[in-house]
Amino acid sequence: MQNTADAAVMNFPRRDARDKLLGRTKYTIDVGGSEVIHAVLLRADVASAQVLRLDVEAARSMPGVRAIATWEDAPGAHGIGIADHPIFARDVIRYHGEPIAAIAAETLEQAHAAAQAITLELAPLPAVLTMAQALEKDAPLVHPDWKDYDILFEGAARGGNVAWEATVARGDTDAAFDRTDVTIVDGVYRVGRQSHVPFEPRAVVAAFEDGRHHIQTSTQVPWTVRHVTARVLNIPESQVRVTVPAVGGGFGLKFDCSLEPYAAILAKKSGRVVSLVNSRREEQMTCLCRENAEIRIRSAVTADGEIVGREATVLMDCGAYGGEQVFLTTMTAHTLGGNYRLGSVRLSSRAIYTNTPPNGAFRACNGVYNTFALERHTDEICDAIGMDRMEFRRHNVVGDQDIGATGQVFEGDVLRPMIDRMQALCAKHPNGRENGQRLDDGRIYGRAMTVGTWFIFVGPSAATVNLNVDGSATLVTSGVEIGSGSMMHALPQIVAAGLGIAPEQVIVKTADTDAAGRDLGVGGGRTTVSIGAASAAACDEVRDKLLAVASEMLQTAPEQLVLADGRVEIRGRPGSGTTIQKVVAEAETRTGPISGSGAFTGPGIEAMPGCAAGHFIDAIDIPVFAVHDCELAIDPDTGQVEILAYRVVQDVGRALNHRAIHGQIQGGVVQGMGYALHEEITINDQGCFDQTGFEAYRLPLAQDVVPIEFDLFEGAPSCGPLGTKGAGEVPILNVGATIGCAIANATGKQVSQLPLTPPRVLALLDGRDEPLALNHISAIWSDNTLRR
Amino acid sequence: MDITPYPKLFLANDLNEALRALRELADSAIPLAGATWVMRAPLRCETADRTLIDLSRIEALRTINIDQQEAVIGALATHEQIANALNGYNDLAALAQAAGHSANPAIRRMATIGGNICTAEFAAADLVPALLALDARLEIEGLDGSRTQTMAAFLEARATRAHTDLVTRLIIPRTQRTSTHARLTLRKAGDYPVANLSVSIALGAGGKISAATVAVGAVEAVAKRWTGFEEAIIGHAPSPEKMQMIAKTCLEEFDGRDAMDAPGWYRLRVLTGLVANAFSTLQETTLGRAM
Amino acid sequence: MTITLTVNREERIFSGDPRTPLVDVLRDHLRMTGTKAVCREGFCGACMVHVDGAPMASCLLPVGSLDGAAVTTIEGVATMEHLNAVQQAFEDHDVVQCGMCFPGMVMTMSRLFQTNTSPDRDEIKAAMTGNICRCTGYERIIDALMSIRTNEVTS
Repeated sequence: MQNTADAAVMNFPRRDARDKLLGRTKYTIDVGGSEVIHAVLLRADVASAQVLRLDVEAARSMPGVRAIATWEDAPGAHGIGIADHPIFARDVIRYHGEPIAAIAAETLEQAHAAAQAITLELAPLPAVLTMAQALEKDAPLVHPDWKDYDILFEGAARGGNVAWEATVARGDTDAAFDRTDVTIVDGVYRVGRQSHVPFEPRAVVAAFEDGRHHIQTSTQVPWTVRHVTARVLNIPESQVRVTVPAVGGGFGLKFDCSLEPYAAILAKKSGRVVSLVNSRREEQMTCLCRENAEIRIRSAVTADGEIVGREATVLMDCGAYGGEQVFLTTMTAHTLGGNYRLGSVRLSSRAIYTNTPPNGAFRACNGVYNTFALERHTDEICDAIGMDRMEFRRHNVVGDQDIGATGQVFEGDVLRPMIDRMQALCAKHPNGRENGQRLDDGRIYGRAMTVGTWFIFVGPSAATVNLNVDGSATLVTSGVEIGSGSMMHALPQIVAAGLGIAPEQVIVKTADTDAAGRDLGVGGGRTTVSIGAASAAACDEVRDKLLAVASEMLQTAPEQLVLADGRVEIRGRPGSGTTIQKVVAEAETRTGPISGSGAFTGPGIEAMPGCAAGHFIDAIDIPVFAVHDCELAIDPDTGQVEILAYRVVQDVGRALNHRAIHGQIQGGVVQGMGYALHEEITINDQGCFDQTGFEAYRLPLAQDVVPIEFDLFEGAPSCGPLGTKGAGEVPILNVGATIGCAIANATGKQVSQLPLTPPRVLALLDGRDEPLALNHISAIWSDNTLRR
Repeated sequence: MDITPYPKLFLANDLNEALRALRELADSAIPLAGATWVMRAPLRCETADRTLIDLSRIEALRTINIDQQEAVIGALATHEQIANALNGYNDLAALAQAAGHSANPAIRRMATIGGNICTAEFAAADLVPALLALDARLEIEGLDGSRTQTMAAFLEARATRAHTDLVTRLIIPRTQRTSTHARLTLRKAGDYPVANLSVSIALGAGGKISAATVAVGAVEAVAKRWTGFEEAIIGHAPSPEKMQMIAKTCLEEFDGRDAMDAPGWYRLRVLTGLVANAFSTLQETTLGRAM
Repeated sequence: MTITLTVNREERIFSGDPRTPLVDVLRDHLRMTGTKAVCREGFCGACMVHVDGAPMASCLLPVGSLDGAAVTTIEGVATMEHLNAVQQAFEDHDVVQCGMCFPGMVMTMSRLFQTNTSPDRDEIKAAMTGNICRCTGYERIIDALMSIRTNEVTS
C-alpha cells in the first residue's frame, strides 16, 4: 500500500488549461460590460515638486464623469514597517507617476478627457534620483517628516533618506581582518531594476455592495489588499471583501496592494461598478520593480580558504516609498550572508529613499542580486588565494550543524551533495572546452557553476476541507492561481492523497476573504508549503471524523482503517469496507456534514540572540538551495552572449509534480536570463524610466532560450507537507550569478554589473569602461550604518 | 461637431480619391499604409486627432512586377510579399533579406515598403538601406502629376515633406550584381536593428570588386550610402576578412546615434562585423555559385 | 462610420470610430475577451487573430480598414469538446501557466501548422518570434508542438 506522500506524487494536469486555451478564462481585465464604468489615474509627470494647487471642479462637469477622488478621500498612509505611503500625493510629489487624482467615467475616453481638465499647479523641488545622491551629506530629504510616521514594526535604525536599516553582527570581524595570515578581498557590484511584465497588468474591479466594498482584483495577496484598503480609507477591515479571478501572471509585482483603494473609493462615490486597469505604459513606468542595488563585500580569507571574516553593505533603492524593500533588508542576512560558513560577519542592509518610482517584490527578491554579488566575490576570492572555484565551494558551503549569518543552526548536508550531483550532470556532456577558448566560429567560450541559498516564506495560512455527500471534497483557502499552478497541481494532489480520493474529486476554491481564513499570500514559494500544510491539517481532521463514523459502521478500530480509491477499507482486506459517500451519509444522520479546518504558520527556527537588528525574521524556517551551471559563447565583434547549455540542481524537498516543477524551472531560469542579459531599465534625468513598452524593454524570446537540463534533489529536511519545499521561486535565484561568472571566466575581466547587454559586454571586452567604483559605500563597515 | 465629409478613417478606392482627401484635409490627415507605425501613436504620446487615409484598397499599389530591366514594387506591398516575390534574384537579395528578417513575422505581414521609407522618425528601418544600395528610385504621385526621385534625394527632404503626395512605386534597376543585407539585433531576432547594412557589388576580372554600392542604416538618424568604403573596396577580392579590415578605416563617415537601445560608439563598433557577415553571406550563397 | 465584419463566421456590425483597433472592437464591443491586448505595439502576439486566414496583430489593425473582412478569433478555432491539434498538444503536455499569451500562441501556431505540417524546432522558434511568453520559458511549449509534428509525420 502506498503511503500518503507517495500517493500525492503524480503528473496531475492543471484543470484551468482548457479554458485558457479556448480564450474563455475571465481575468480581472476581462470583467466588463455595460454596467461597468472606467477609471484612470492622473499621475505626476515630474519627480519632485510641491503641489500649489489642485482643482478638480472643472473635471467634475465633464461628460460622463461619475466620480473623482483625491487625497481628501484617502486619509490613511500604509507601508511595511513604516506607514510612509499615502495613496494620493497631497502637498508633495515624490516620484514621476505618482497618483494625484482618480477619475471614473462612463467610458475610458471620457475619464482621460476629465483627467486633462484637472488644474494642477506645481513648484519644482530638488530631486534625488540615485542612491549616491540620496546618501550625500545635506542631500534633500524625500521624506522630511520621516520621524513623524507611524512605526508598524519596531527595531530598525532609520534616518534621513535611509528608510530602513537592518544589521547583522556575529563574532569579531575587526579581529578577523587584523589577522596577519589572511588575504582581504574587496569587491563592489551593481545591478539595475527588473520589470516583471505580467501579461495581465495590475487591474481591479470594485463595487460597493450592502454597505461593504467588494474588490475583484488581480493580486497575489487578497488579505493585504483588504488590510491596506481599509487602512487608507480609514474603515474597519471587515468592510472590505476581496475576491480574485484568474491572475495573468504576478512574479511578485502583485504581492502588494496597488490600484485597489482607488477603485474602491470611486465605486462608493459613484455607486457604480468601477474598472481600473493600468495601461501597459503605466504598468511599465510605475512597475514595482526588482530594485536596483549597490553592494560592497569585504572578506578576510586564509590561504587554505577559510572565510574568517566578512563585512558587507547592501544598498537597496526603495524609490519614493519604503514598500517591500523595508522588509527585504531582512533577506540580505540569508542570501548574501548565506551559502558559506563564516567565522565572523557584519552586514548592513539598507533601503534608501530616492525620487523614483517605488520598487517591490520580484521572484527571489533580494536573493537574485545578492547571489550575483556573492558568487562573483567568491570567484574573486578564489583568484586572490589561488584556489579552485569548485574546491573552495565544496570546502565552505554550509552543511549539517553549521551556523548561518544570524547564528541559526542548519540541518542536513544539502549543498555539498548537490554540487556532486551537478558534477555528475555535467559529466554526461563532456566537451573538453576551456574557459576563454575560441570556438570554431571565433566566439569565446565561458562556463561557471554557482551555489545559492533561498528560503520558503512561511507564515499564516488557513484551510477548510468540506467532504461532500458525493465523495468529493471542497478545499477553501485564500490561495489564488497566478499561473504557477500551485492551486491546480500541488493542493488538489495533497488533499486527494490525504483523503484517499482522486485529485479530480478535489474542488479548489479561489480566494474570497469572506469565505476563507487569513493568509499571507501567494509568493515566496509558500503556497505548496503553507497553504499545503494547512490543507493537510484540515484533511487530518476530516479523516478523523470520517474514520470515527466508519469505525462504528465497520465494527473496526480506526487505526485498522485506511482511505483509498474513494473507499474506507479494513487494512489488508481490500473490498471489505464501504464507500466514502456511505460514511458521509451516515455521518449526516449522526453529527452532521464532515468538514475539517487546518492552520499553519511555520516552526519558528531561532537565531543566535543579539546577532540581528531591524530584521522582520531572524532565521529562515525552510532553507532552499540551488546549484546552477552555465555554458555560453560570447561574440567578440558584438558582445552578444549565447547560452549554449544551462543546468540546474534544485533542492525541492519532495517533488509532487515533476512536470509542473519542470515548467517552473524552465520559466524561472529564462526570466533570470532576461535579467542577466537583456532586460534593462534606465532612469532618466526626469526621474522616469526610459523603457515604456515592449520595444525597449527586451524580454527573452523563443530564439534566445535553451531547454534547461535539471536534476531534482529530494530528501533535504523540510517542515512542508509531505516534505515539500516550494519549487517555483528559486529557479531564478542564481541565473544572474552563473551567467555573470561565466562571462567573467570567458573574458578574464571583472564582471561587476548586470544586465550584461551586448554593449556592456563589448565595452568589457574592449576595456572601454572604468572599473566600477561605489565611493558612497565606505570600506569601513561601520560608516555604512546609522548605529555607528 | 464633425462636419467633414470624411470619416475618421477614409478607405480610398483609387489614388485620386486618396490624393484629394489628403489635399483637402491637409495637416489633419495622414496616409495609412500597413498601420504598424500610425497605430502606435498613443504609445509615443502623440495625441493629434488625425483622419487616416487608408490606401489598402488601391490594388495598383500592391503589385510587384519583376522583368529583365527592373523590379517595380507597389508602395503597399508588405515585407512578407516582397521577401517572397524577390526570393531567388541575386541582385535583389538585399531587399528580399531585409524584408524577410525585419521585426517579427506578424509585423512583416502588415508593414509596407511605402510606410517603411516614409516614416521619418524611424531610424532603424531595414528596407531603406537596401533600397539605397540597390539604387532604387521612387515614383511619387500628386494631384498635379507624377515624378520620380532617387532614394537619397527623397531621404534628404523626408523630414519636412508634406503628405499631400504619395509614394506609389519603387523602381529598382536589374543588374548583374549580387547583393545582401546584414543586421544586428540585441536579441537573436524580433528587434529593430541597432545597425544594418546593405551591400551590392559587381565582380570584374579575377573576381575583384569592380563596382559597389553600400548603405548603412540605424547608425545615424537617417540611412545613408557609405561612399568611402564603396570606393576603398574597388579592386579587392571580396573576402570577409579583407572587407572588414577596409571597413575599419572608413568609419569616420559616421556619427553614431546615442539612443535607448545602444550608444553611438556601439553602432560603429559593430559595423565592421556586419561587413564581415555580409561578405561571408555573399561568399556562401550568391558569389559562391557565380564563381 | 458603420463597419461590417464576419467574426467567427457570423456577421457583426460596428458603429463607432473607425480608427479603433480591432482588438478593442472584439473585447469591448463584441465582449469576446479571449483576444488579449498586452503590449499594443505588435511585439507580444497576445492579440493575434486571423484576418482572411492570415495571423495578424489585432492591436495594430484599425477596424475601418477591415470592412468586409473575415476575422477568426481564439473563440472561433475550436469547440469546448474538440480542441484543435495545437490546443490539444498544449493541454496534453500541461504547458499552460498564467495563460494570457496562449490565445495568441494558438492563433500563430495553428496557422504555422497549416502551412508547414512538419516544421523543425528552429522553424517553430522563428515563427514564435512575435509571441512572447513571460511564464514558461518557451521550450515546453515547443516540445508540445514538436509532438504534433511527429504524429503527423508518422500517420
